[in-house]
Amino acid sequence: MDRKVFRKAIERFWEIAGGVSVRTKILGIVLGGTILFGLTTVLQVRYALHQVLVARTQDWGIAMASDLAARSTDLVLINDLLGLYRLLQDAIAHNPELRYLFVVSSQGEVLAHTFGTGPEFPAGLLEANPLPSGAPYRLQPLRTPEGIIWDIAVPIFRGRAGVLRLGLRDTAVRAAMNTVTVRLLLTTIVVSALSLGIALILTHLIVRPIRGLVAMTERVARRDFTARATIWANDEIGALAHAFNTMVEELAQQEQMRAFYLQRIIEAQEEERRRIARELHDETGQALASLRVGLRNLEQTMDPDTLRSRLEDLYQLVDQTLNRVRRLAFELRPSVLDDLGLVAALERYIRDYRERFGIEVEMQVVGLDERRIPPTIETAVYRIVQEALTNAAKHAKCQRISVLLQASLRMLSVIVEDDGCGFDVEQTLRAGRESRLGLYGMRERAQLVGGTLTIESAPGQGTTIYLRVPLEGA
Amino acid sequence: MIRVLIADDHAVFRAGLRLLLSAQPDIAVVGEAGDGWQTLKQAEALQPDVILLDLTMPGMPGLQTLALLRQQVPQARVLILTMHEDEAYLRQALAEGAAGYIIKRATDEELVAAIRAVARGEIYIHPAMTRALLEDLIPAPKIPETPEPWENLSEREQQVLRLVAVGHTNQEIADRLGLSVKTVETYRARGMEKLGLRTRAQLVRYMIQKGLLKE
Repeated sequence: MDRKVFRKAIERFWEIAGGVSVRTKILGIVLGGTILFGLTTVLQVRYALHQVLVARTQDWGIAMASDLAARSTDLVLINDLLGLYRLLQDAIAHNPELRYLFVVSSQGEVLAHTFGTGPEFPAGLLEANPLPSGAPYRLQPLRTPEGIIWDIAVPIFRGRAGVLRLGLRDTAVRAAMNTVTVRLLLTTIVVSALSLGIALILTHLIVRPIRGLVAMTERVARRDFTARATIWANDEIGALAHAFNTMVEELAQQEQMRAFYLQRIIEAQEEERRRIARELHDETGQALASLRVGLRNLEQTMDPDTLRSRLEDLYQLVDQTLNRVRRLAFELRPSVLDDLGLVAALERYIRDYRERFGIEVEMQVVGLDERRIPPTIETAVYRIVQEALTNAAKHAKCQRISVLLQASLRMLSVIVEDDGCGFDVEQTLRAGRESRLGLYGMRERAQLVGGTLTIESAPGQGTTIYLRVPLEGA
Repeated sequence: MIRVLIADDHAVFRAGLRLLLSAQPDIAVVGEAGDGWQTLKQAEALQPDVILLDLTMPGMPGLQTLALLRQQVPQARVLILTMHEDEAYLRQALAEGAAGYIIKRATDEELVAAIRAVARGEIYIHPAMTRALLEDLIPAPKIPETPEPWENLSEREQQVLRLVAVGHTNQEIADRLGLSVKTVETYRARGMEKLGLRTRAQLVRYMIQKGLLKE
């Protein structure tokens, strides 16, 4: 239970401490540290000072008492009580620390004292500090309504002439201690104020760049990619600001890229539509129109031979048109891909490709028999292989291409490798956007299905395109 | 009399077919259907001898319609009549139990002959499509005996080729074996040369045949 309460308390503390601003935290640390340091110093100094001052005062009191005892010896022996009284009065008048002085004869009779005339000699004082015989002195602190008084007893003439008693106040000690304490406390306050000022400047230096970063990220969140963080210093926050700037530049570039590709995609789509429209209109439409004219002609043809040859022409026209339409449809989206899957579609595409470009393409499939993978992945893989093969035909000047599909439980790996002239991948990616559009298109497609695309090539080395797509435990 | 059901989603095409087939003395068109479900219903109701089935109709995929027809009206012979000249469709259709496969650009005579053949219990495949099937009969060119056996390759060459075959990039192989990419390429080229292989696909096929590709 205790533990629970403890943890609750800590949680509460963090709630409060975590809730305040960085500035308050730092100020709190500085102020707390300074005050704690000041207070402990005051306590330490007071303690040490007290020890030293008390010892000093007592030593002084003992010396004073011994001196007075020596001087009063003769006066006691000749029984000069007035002289004794004067000696004591003189001493007390010059030393405000002395509370009282009195001399007791060896018979225990008070010979002279500084309590004034009359019966005011405090009761019990005489017995309060009995001096053992032979002792050089005896010190006895007395608790009185006036505060602590150190009573010092010193023998006169080794005790044969009585005892001198001296009451010593601690006011001097206390005054000194108070003075020192006040000074130390004042110093603490001044130092606290100073460090608070310094801390304020420092926190400003720390907080300002952080505020700047926050403002910047907010701007970036609003898709304002011109936002840059000011780097104030070369410290960790400076490094953070630098990292932020790099990130924003990267983002800006990606955004720019994205916009560019989006436009290219739209353009490409329009271009494709234009091509299809032209094909439909110019080729298919024309063919159907001439078919119509041809049919009309047939109506007027009587001669069976002419009829036959015209029919033959029309059949041919229909076949041609059919082929064109089929090819167009296949190029747009092979229905094999939807109906029979990736491998069948690729086989079909590769057969066409071989005939069209005269390039030997070998395909090897491992682990994909009887297994359909998600349609989005099939489409992506199909298009990427198509693009890779098209690129190879356009640029690689190759004779042989191998297409490899390897599926494991979690991964589909597709490798398209040609033995052509190769190219400098880095340079091409850096060079004009037009040339690398195809490469980026493939990469984008790969990323859309969570895959990665790696291109390995060097001039004269052929080109290998590696596509890896994770398969959800299908 | 051969009783025929025509299943195609184009009415004009169906009409043309009906006209053509009605001219044959031994063929009678008993019904028409425009999609998969209709085909199934009509087939069950009419119990035709031959069903002319288009593979691409709206709704149910053609191959699925075929499979269902084989279940529900097993005695009816299904002749696929389609635009698809893909061998993959042909294979699938035959696997699903089609009695014949003819393409839409076939001549009238070919179509009538196909219906008669299928009705007699034969299998009809349009000549334009037979090549694909015949290719299956011709044994695939065996990987030529390699000039040198696998064992003659050096340890490194074997390592590199194995990694190449399972689809690692040259860079990955270089990293894994602590070699430079150039060195990897050299090992790979030398190993392939020794085995007399030219492409990655050939290498994979070789490794599978030799049982070397076990993970």
